Amino acid sequence: MTERRQVALFVTCLVDTMRPRIGFASIAALEAAGCEVVVPAAQTCCGQPALNSGARRDAEALARQTIAVLEKYAHVVVPSGSCAGTIRVHYPEILAGDPEWGPRAEALAGRTWEILAFLDQVCGWRPEGVTLPVAAAYHDSCAGLRELGIKAQPRRLLAAIEALRLMPLAGEETCCGFGGTFCVKYPAISNAITEEKAQAIEASGADLLLAGDLGCLMNMAGKLHRQGSPVRVMHTVEVLAGMGAGPAIGEAE
Amino acid sequence: MSAREAILRRLGGNAGDVADEARALLRAPERPPVDPAALAETFAERLAAPSVAASLERVPVAQQLPAAVARHLAQHVPMPGLYLPPDAWLQALDWRGIALDAAVTVDGGAALAVATAAVAETGSLVLDTSPTAPMLPNFLALHHLVVVRHETLVAHLEDIPAPLEQPRARYWITGVSGTTDIEGQYVRGAHGPRFLHVLLLG
Amino acid sequence: MTAGFKARAAEALADPVLKVAVERTAGTAETKRAAAVAAFEDFEAARTRAAAIKDHVIAHLGHYLEQFEANAIAAGAQVHWAETADAACEIVLDICRRAGAKSVARSKSMLGEEIGLPHALAEAGIERVETDLAEHIIQLAGERPSHIVWPAMHKTREQVSTLFRARHAEPHAEETIAAMAQSARRHLRAAMLGADVGISGANFLLADSGAVCTVTNEGNAELSVVPPRVHIVTAGIEKLVPSMDHAVHLLRMLARSATGATLTQYTTFYTGPKRGADLDGPEEMHIVLIDNGRTKMRDEGLAEMLRCIRCGACMNHCVVFRQIGGHAYGGTYPGPMGAVLTPALDGLAASRDLPQACTMNGKCQEVCPVRIPLPTLLRGWREKSWREGLEPASTRGAVRLWAWAARQPWLYRFGSRLAVRGMRLFGGKWITSMPLASGWTRHRDLPAPQGRTFMEQYRERRR
Repeated sequence: MTERRQVALFVTCLVDTMRPRIGFASIAALEAAGCEVVVPAAQTCCGQPALNSGARRDAEALARQTIAVLEKYAHVVVPSGSCAGTIRVHYPEILAGDPEWGPRAEALAGRTWEILAFLDQVCGWRPEGVTLPVAAAYHDSCAGLRELGIKAQPRRLLAAIEALRLMPLAGEETCCGFGGTFCVKYPAISNAITEEKAQAIEASGADLLLAGDLGCLMNMAGKLHRQGSPVRVMHTVEVLAGMGAGPAIGEAE
Repeated sequence: MSAREAILRRLGGNAGDVADEARALLRAPERPPVDPAALAETFAERLAAPSVAASLERVPVAQQLPAAVARHLAQHVPMPGLYLPPDAWLQALDWRGIALDAAVTVDGGAALAVATAAVAETGSLVLDTSPTAPMLPNFLALHHLVVVRHETLVAHLEDIPAPLEQPRARYWITGVSGTTDIEGQYVRGAHGPRFLHVLLLG
Repeated sequence: MTAGFKARAAEALADPVLKVAVERTAGTAETKRAAAVAAFEDFEAARTRAAAIKDHVIAHLGHYLEQFEANAIAAGAQVHWAETADAACEIVLDICRRAGAKSVARSKSMLGEEIGLPHALAEAGIERVETDLAEHIIQLAGERPSHIVWPAMHKTREQVSTLFRARHAEPHAEETIAAMAQSARRHLRAAMLGADVGISGANFLLADSGAVCTVTNEGNAELSVVPPRVHIVTAGIEKLVPSMDHAVHLLRMLARSATGATLTQYTTFYTGPKRGADLDGPEEMHIVLIDNGRTKMRDEGLAEMLRCIRCGACMNHCVVFRQIGGHAYGGTYPGPMGAVLTPALDGLAASRDLPQACTMNGKCQEVCPVRIPLPTLLRGWREKSWREGLEPASTRGAVRLWAWAARQPWLYRFGSRLAVRGMRLFGGKWITSMPLASGWTRHRDLPAPQGRTFMEQYRERRR
């Protein structure tokens, strides 16, 4: 490694509040991959909840704010497919008509990466010496899969974890029923979808469920726990950073 | 203002060369490959596919057609009577020994038709209406027999020759009357033919 | 009309039979489509081309409508234009009256449902024979279609069996789907052949020949419109294509996306009425070109929706549709495409739930053969709903307050720190119930926050 890549970590609201561990795992993995990580202090939310609620003006205001905070960095890395998708795909869309911010949104979009895609595609990194004897199932979170094309990257990275067996998960590309505010606006429909997902996870024979988006992970973990399932749930980057033996979602530190 | 004027006014005029743009959209279309040297083989494969499920018999010359039809009817169609369209070419063949019906009147009968062309890509049979080719018998019969001349086989749907004169109806038949309307389960013989037999001539 | 979406969805979720029925058909369709797409060499490029063909037509719709009209008239058809659903029904009824029609045979057309034609015919005292098997089932049951390709998707075989036994003169002797289909065949044939008028929709209108294309697997369109003296076509103005070869490309996409077939069993191109010496066919052919909001959609940001070729793939692959079926949507068109169309057809105020009741997972867009950006169009409705104040005051207040706070980084930090500490009061590892979180905790547990925010911990570690 000749020069260390300068990376700004966009933590995301859920990771900041609900599971900081994912943020520290991200830093550890990025540093292992030879990056110099900074966490811009003025970052807040990417505005996805406003965008999906139809509050376009609020979404645009948060987009401008986030662009201003992040655009000075060479790379922006996000431990969430949907937040990364908001910056990469939706900022340029919603600011397309703005002669000043449109081009700035495009520029930032080109440098913003979901963390698993960044570690695999940009850094060409593989975890070294990480062992985790576990049967894991991987759920392809929708925004990462369909907005960012994240499919092979996490599987390539996980293949480097010793003793980890990746189990096939039926319907791995099917939405888990989270959908952001959808899950609280239409809880009954969301629950029906999540119940099927939980069944598929249990049927996979995995004892650890992995994905790249904390919202989806909390949804599936919450359902599995309510049903008394022993399947543990964790963000993929925690495993990659060698933190897979630590507490899973809903377990004590 | 009439509805026509109102709609057209809202849609406005068009700019640019529409015809050129339309043609450009058809350049090198994505479609299943068909080997031009193996049209008959590909056609036969497609006919055998579950969604088409047609039987095929090769008949070397037209004079052997009535015998081939008679054999098929004897083996597969319990009800006597075959509808033959008033096509001079067909009528000139020797159909003695086969009970002919002037129309398909009962559910369960058989009808024969002559295809204008057939398509290897899909196994489709192209039929045109004309004063010697009615349409209805081909939808009323339980057993549909269609004569395809080998030289009318084409590779792709785009290769079907345009008719010299537009018939009232041109219809592509790619299988039998089927339905998946109850629980998605495929059932043959929904309203019309349950059996399709292709006689490939030449 | 869709004010009761949540109630209807709840009813649907509580119906285990509906779930079974939807799963049987939509599941089969999903599997078959996947196989057909896998067997097609360059399906992604074919989707791009299909979208481009439709966009071209929509950009030059006036030109193609006039070209189609001229060619259809030259072939002997009569062309009518209708701006609204009511005007379209009136035109159809007028033709029926002039033909002295007592009965019509109708071949399934979603546009007919959209303009309320079944109801209009009933009001006019004209007997209606639905010839598509699924439409026949729902006509007997007195219901509306729940899917655009399989209108009776919500019915199980057991329910169809009961219905046919009660209503068919010679019902099926054995409990198989094949026997039930035969029962319908016996029942429908005479009625179909005795109709005075045949009504069909159109899958495509070919501008350069004036031909009307219908596709069916049952052959019921042909049996509905060939025997009667009059054939009426009701078609949306977006159904135009420049030529046969353009139709061919879209037909390939339609069959694969809808049923997984390479082509629909019967694909028919009708050009005018019976010619002088023809042996069959109608004496009159009428084509009703219907706008019903389509020009408005084109001008108001929904032009991409006019690409739709009605294959039903979006709903077959929609996690929400698969749970609640089609009736819960409350409009003519269900699923993702319906959630975009219904607000345009019935008004957003009456259907504001539909664009919201979506997880934005993008699967519908992924399978759409004409690449309609359905999530983007749904987001457009959400924005309109927000602008017009249709969202509940509580939602608006919460989002506004949050968005304001998120623009004050230090306040947001502080709020986050308070929130995680507050949440921990309700549970150390899992929260099973918490004020304002019942939407979540009714059905699942909420993992408790770790205790201090990432930003707090990060700053400490940096010191």
